[in-house]
Amino acid sequence: MRSVHSRRLERPRDPSNRAAATLGVSVLTAAIALLAACAAPDAGGRAADGGTGGDGGGRKILRIAYEREIDVLNAFTSQNLADIMFSIVEGLITTDEHNTYVPVLATLIPTANNGLIAHNADGTIDMTWPLHENVRWHDGQPFTSRDVCFTWKFVVSPNSQTYNRDQYLGIVDCLMPDEHTVVFRWNGTYAYYAGLFEAILPEHILGGRTTEEIVNYTPYNRGPEMVGTGPFRFAEWKPGEYIRVVRNEQYWRGPEYPQIDEIVWSFIPDTNTRLNAMKAAGFHYARLLPTQVQEVARVEGYETHLISSNTFMHFDVSANTERARVLFGGANVRRALFHAIDRDAIARQLMQGTVEVANTPINPSSPYHDAGVIASTFDPQRATRLLEAAGWTVGSDGIRSRAGVRFSFTMLNRAGTQDRIAIAQVIQAQLKAIGVEATFETLESAAWTQRWRSGQWEAMVSAWFLSADPSLTSLYLCDGPNNMTGFCDPDLDRVMLASDRELDFAKRKPLLDQVQERLADDAFSLPIYYNVVPEMVSTRVGGYRGNGTNFGSFWNLWEWTLR
Amino acid sequence: MDAALTDRSAPGGWLARRLLQMVPLVFGITIVLFAVIQAAPGGPEGALLESGRFIDPQVIEAYRHRLGVDRPVPVQYVRWLTAAVRGDLGISFSTTRPVTAMIVERLPATLELMATAFGFAAIVALGLGIFSAVRQYSAFDYLTTGLSFAGIAMPVFWFALILQLVFAVRLGWLPVAGTGTVGDTSLLDHLRHLILPAFVLSVRYIAGWSRYLRSSLLATLRADYIRTARAKGLPERRVIVHALRNALIPVISIMALNLADLFSGAVITETIFAWPGIGRLFIQAMFSRDYPLLMGILLMGSVMVIIFNLIADLVYGALDPRIRHD
Repeated sequence: MRSVHSRRLERPRDPSNRAAATLGVSVLTAAIALLAACAAPDAGGRAADGGTGGDGGGRKILRIAYEREIDVLNAFTSQNLADIMFSIVEGLITTDEHNTYVPVLATLIPTANNGLIAHNADGTIDMTWPLHENVRWHDGQPFTSRDVCFTWKFVVSPNSQTYNRDQYLGIVDCLMPDEHTVVFRWNGTYAYYAGLFEAILPEHILGGRTTEEIVNYTPYNRGPEMVGTGPFRFAEWKPGEYIRVVRNEQYWRGPEYPQIDEIVWSFIPDTNTRLNAMKAAGFHYARLLPTQVQEVARVEGYETHLISSNTFMHFDVSANTERARVLFGGANVRRALFHAIDRDAIARQLMQGTVEVANTPINPSSPYHDAGVIASTFDPQRATRLLEAAGWTVGSDGIRSRAGVRFSFTMLNRAGTQDRIAIAQVIQAQLKAIGVEATFETLESAAWTQRWRSGQWEAMVSAWFLSADPSLTSLYLCDGPNNMTGFCDPDLDRVMLASDRELDFAKRKPLLDQVQERLADDAFSLPIYYNVVPEMVSTRVGGYRGNGTNFGSFWNLWEWTLR
Repeated sequence: MDAALTDRSAPGGWLARRLLQMVPLVFGITIVLFAVIQAAPGGPEGALLESGRFIDPQVIEAYRHRLGVDRPVPVQYVRWLTAAVRGDLGISFSTTRPVTAMIVERLPATLELMATAFGFAAIVALGLGIFSAVRQYSAFDYLTTGLSFAGIAMPVFWFALILQLVFAVRLGWLPVAGTGTVGDTSLLDHLRHLILPAFVLSVRYIAGWSRYLRSSLLATLRADYIRTARAKGLPERRVIVHALRNALIPVISIMALNLADLFSGAVITETIFAWPGIGRLFIQAMFSRDYPLLMGILLMGSVMVIIFNLIADLVYGALDPRIRHD
């Protein structure tokens, strides 16, 4: 009997059942119709338009698809490479598209030739920075040398958290001969001096507060008291959504600047969404991944610029652990490993030809780059010969060994960095071809960073971001604060330190050439390629001059236009 | 027996007991959460280092000291707990803003997105579930079964990107991401931004709930009392309505439990659609090891799970007279 009922229920013939079923469908249909009713055709421009520009009641609104939400707007305490704030705040200098420092709030950068650098009898050095006279903060207060010296005091205070605070510690005093001249008194020569003070803090807003209070001062960090001298004024920060800045009507470069009324940085963290947003013509600018370049090549209304970044990808072997020293202790062994790696294939195939093979840490756009240096050549046969000569012979499992030690090491990968992991996979395969085994350990970002800083790793693919100043001391000095490999070459130290003390380009360049040659010869870090940041920019945008330094491509927003 | 009778006559006592039990439970949860968060390798200074810039090591130490993460974990916990019981969830490491304010700021976006997805899913799942059960083994039933399995199995990020490509990039009907066009405060613009993320989120719920409802309704329709109802000559429509109320009991319980998601957000969907909700805030906090913010979000999520468990129990009791809380 039960089965009879079941069959009837399973295939209802009663019209009332159909009515119930119809009711269900009706509910479903109504719900979908309700949702679909809101889907009106997009009023925004399509891809061929190159974005939705000039669509704010005649206002020229530049829309940027930005990859993350920044933490704070204070350029000195932000943990991010925050190029957004350079639309609001300005420093004494910035860098242009040629990797060169150019003055902003200063009228000149002191050099040995322009007479603004004076050597004192007590060994100190005075560097004089003349400032523009007609500059005002966004709230109307005048910008003066007091603001510059206030900024110096903040940065060097112990809790300022400024990432390069150590570079400011060579300044022993900040003098104010007048409101528009500032003199930094240094305790010696530091060639990187020109790259400091990338932003200036407003003394009239933040003065009278402790360092701790300034670090935590929300009205300046993200609120109404965020004032700068830049071409745009802070207007709004909608958490999780966007930052909006508006034209500074009193901009010191003249009433014709800036030429855009408003900029909106929308936070779109997902790279694929960012790409889709650009394809849908919702934005004028976005940074993409190198692997996305080919996909956007044919999108009308946009141009993709491959900006060579001061970031260089490199393969490091460590000298920090006992096992790493046994494996990588010999320079010829390290050279052998590097000969096995086909960097050209990585650049051409893996990175789809978007990047340039690196031979030194210094970017080719820098005048200090030594084009004559070849870090390594792809030569597996030579690699094999070098390993054989060092006593590493192939065992029955195809992996080399010496005195009972297998040539096997672990590469530390950071999860989520697809490019680095893909490079590591290529290196793994190419090293296996010469009888060297590389295994992987992949850690989440923060865990990876902790391990990396601790030195407890054997090899890794990593990347450094260099400023426009070519000093490499922090990275490769025996006790350099960022020498993560643990390798030490006292001769290299001497040349690097000498180059840091030389202000004259003609004398500093040969020293840095020596540094780059010696790094290639020491072979403990193999540069792979200079990172490229593909920047997709609407053809309606004018004045764009891509910049691969930490200032980013927004360094000259004051002269951008939007047609 | 007497005790049970007492409980029936005083459901407030049961509720008070459950509420009291929540206190040690929440306390225990905070200990576990704090320990797990601290056990994860790496620290908040990782964000400082991630940019690849040269960092002054003294700055790292000063940063850790200022945040208090250089102190022993139990000391950190006691400090956090002491403040938390006073309603102060601390200051975010990365933004230097109060955690409570940050959560409150993001909650409306998450609530709106999740509530829309819930509402839509509830309506659609009801329709699909009823129709599939009444028309069991029909072509429609097979189709919805297949789609349900696809909805459950389909990776959210993939589905979301496909929808973006179709409806935003190809057709241009809907925006790709965000909550609204900057400068356009109209409700219609906002609703257009809501459609894709809400739909993506609802698919998972539709797929699950419709399957539950279908199974539950099928089982109910085979029950003796339904056979009796039919034998009495009750019209089939009324029989189904009658069965539906009982069939909904387990489904509503599951939905009530899912309601806790309203407050914890949807990490992947919010990230892909750049929706400024709690889920995205959580991801940011996790990657930057923003311990106070992580604790705040997780604590809120945990409390909501407990509360909605309680609500599920209450709803279950209200819907099914056979159930008594003793």
